[in-house]
Amino acid sequence: MDLGLQGKKAIVVGGARGIGYAVAEILAREGCDVALSARGEDSVKDAVASLSRYGTKVVGKPVNVKRADEYKAWMEWAIEALDGVDVLIPLSSASGGIGSEKYWHNAFETDVLGPVRAIEAAIPKMTEQQRGSIVLVATTSALEAMGGPQAYNAMKASLITYGKQLALAHGKDGIRVNVVSPGPIEFEGGNWDMIKGTMEKFYNSQLRQQPSGRLGRPEEVARAIVFLASEAASWCNGSHLVVDGGFTNRTHF
Amino acid sequence: MWDTARMDVKRVVDVIRVDPAACTDGTPVEKAPDPDLGTDVIPAERYYSQEFMKLEWERVWSKVWLLGGRADDIPNPGDYICTDIGKESVLIVRQHDGSIRCFPNVCLHRGNRLRPEGIGNAEQFRCMYHHWTYGLDGKIERLPDLCTFQQGGPPGMTLPSLPCVEWNSFVWYSLNPQVEPFDDYIAPLKEHLEPYHPERMAWSRDVTVEWDCNWKASVDAFNETYHVQGIHPQLLWYLDDVNVQIDCYEKHNRYLIPFATVSPRVAMPSQIPPAIDEIMRNAGMDPAEYEGRVGDIRRDVQLFKRKHGAAQGKDYSALNDDQLTDDYHYMIFPNVALNVHADDIMMFRQRPHATDPNKMLYDVWVFELVPQGEEWPERVKQRRFKHGDRSIGQVLDQDAYNLPTVQLGMKSDSFPGLWIGEQELRIRHFHKVLDDYIYGPGGKGPDDI
Repeated sequence: MDLGLQGKKAIVVGGARGIGYAVAEILAREGCDVALSARGEDSVKDAVASLSRYGTKVVGKPVNVKRADEYKAWMEWAIEALDGVDVLIPLSSASGGIGSEKYWHNAFETDVLGPVRAIEAAIPKMTEQQRGSIVLVATTSALEAMGGPQAYNAMKASLITYGKQLALAHGKDGIRVNVVSPGPIEFEGGNWDMIKGTMEKFYNSQLRQQPSGRLGRPEEVARAIVFLASEAASWCNGSHLVVDGGFTNRTHF
Repeated sequence: MWDTARMDVKRVVDVIRVDPAACTDGTPVEKAPDPDLGTDVIPAERYYSQEFMKLEWERVWSKVWLLGGRADDIPNPGDYICTDIGKESVLIVRQHDGSIRCFPNVCLHRGNRLRPEGIGNAEQFRCMYHHWTYGLDGKIERLPDLCTFQQGGPPGMTLPSLPCVEWNSFVWYSLNPQVEPFDDYIAPLKEHLEPYHPERMAWSRDVTVEWDCNWKASVDAFNETYHVQGIHPQLLWYLDDVNVQIDCYEKHNRYLIPFATVSPRVAMPSQIPPAIDEIMRNAGMDPAEYEGRVGDIRRDVQLFKRKHGAAQGKDYSALNDDQLTDDYHYMIFPNVALNVHADDIMMFRQRPHATDPNKMLYDVWVFELVPQGEEWPERVKQRRFKHGDRSIGQVLDQDAYNLPTVQLGMKSDSFPGLWIGEQELRIRHFHKVLDDYIYGPGGKGPDDI
């Protein structure tokens, strides 16, 4: 199956590690030019260097999505560097935390405004092109209880709602918007890697909840994200795909 | 120092450390030259041999200075600490003039113990058996029916006095009347440990656990950081077990471990690890507000504590920046391990069993800084139990977990002894000091265990 990504221009916000990096890697491998961001300069540099081996144009620059002006400028830079934007995948996340109101601000600014600002910066160009595909990344923690009541879960849930609304609003301009909700994903340096080391019992309880007895790998989610982002998913719009290896208990009617 | 790049690590980390030249007062930080202690096997037999246990008693336990207890447990005249060591037991007693004295805890009449282990207050020590009664100074004040003892009372009508001193909030004693001056014995650790001001810290834990291993197996367990990657995987997101400075002094030794940081053995997370999150909260920081990278937290906690400590009633003025986060871990020969920190001290006293080389007593003493202006907490109760009956916390449970199987393995014909690496230099140093006590300086022969 041809994904139709050859020669497409993709922006991945938060593309230096984990799911974001796996997304950027598949996009590059499929022939996309890629612009990626991360907070740290070193991690951006490493990711760009590594992804350049696929022979497409890969550029990157650090940005803190919480700084609106800086972030807006970054998006303008990325669109200009790629000379357009066909695919936008904003995955920035502040991750979880309980016990301080500040976590709500962090989650709002990073998990919600991170994608919102990227989308607002990309929509004019996509509208002009009459072509574009956006994938938002929520979480199964928005669907089922996980880790106690916290901002991360609630803020991520808002992306599912927002994604559908975007799909309805921009479909007429050839822009599709879909949402992927991954379950627990483990990779070196990721939260579940740390949880495995620091909270072994909890980690094992999560393993038991996985029908296949393991957690997911970044590329297993990334492939679903890239599919939805691609031309191959041309009739997917406003959909919400749970990619969790069967982790969640609920039936996704 | 080992080559950290060639170890089983993911990253090479250049740890920010205080400049030794800038630390002219306070705890010395310069690296002591590593002693050349060779690479010999440390014989396993010394961990279970009755003969070696006897030598240890004759040449170590009955000769050296020993940690007795905490000075603030005995503030008033008549307050005493009764503590056992091997087959002996001593009373350390606050005198009317404020000084302390130490006596064997034994009635000179028929040998009965005068008091059970623990702390208390007494106007005099009266033996339960025939009511021989001793003053706080050890003198026999009452000997019922003295006239019926043709030979009179025991010599001098007094319990023998044993050497004891108070230092840095702790009391020390020796079973050896000819013991060297305490200051000579403890050198050079006075200047190392006094800046922590343990007198500002209050008891928060006082537990004794009977462990099924030789006391030295426990000493060894706390004398290296190599085991962190083995039995404490969770601590890899809490401390740097690779960039550790080891310093061996004459009898004692230490290592300095960066805390509030992530071990080079695991990938650097983007999320603040839970235990480091707690360090930040304890310092008064809000981890949710933190904008820096995880690798910057250690230094930022230091700077935060330096800036806000005084306002929190915590006087860190005698400590260097590293001490505000790191674990300075001391081993006072033969049996005291101290994790000293700016806000607490967690120490272990490791005592031999009275008769069985395969058992020991493990005392966990924890003291926490009481901020100025806050009420001094009530002293925690002493608890005592056997290994496995109760948890002593995740990390110490992990430490304790395999010591009984270590002790069993020591006796295997296939196990000549400990195969020690550079990260375990303190173990080698401890055994060298022990050797010198047992066999005389440099006197250990090739066939000695």
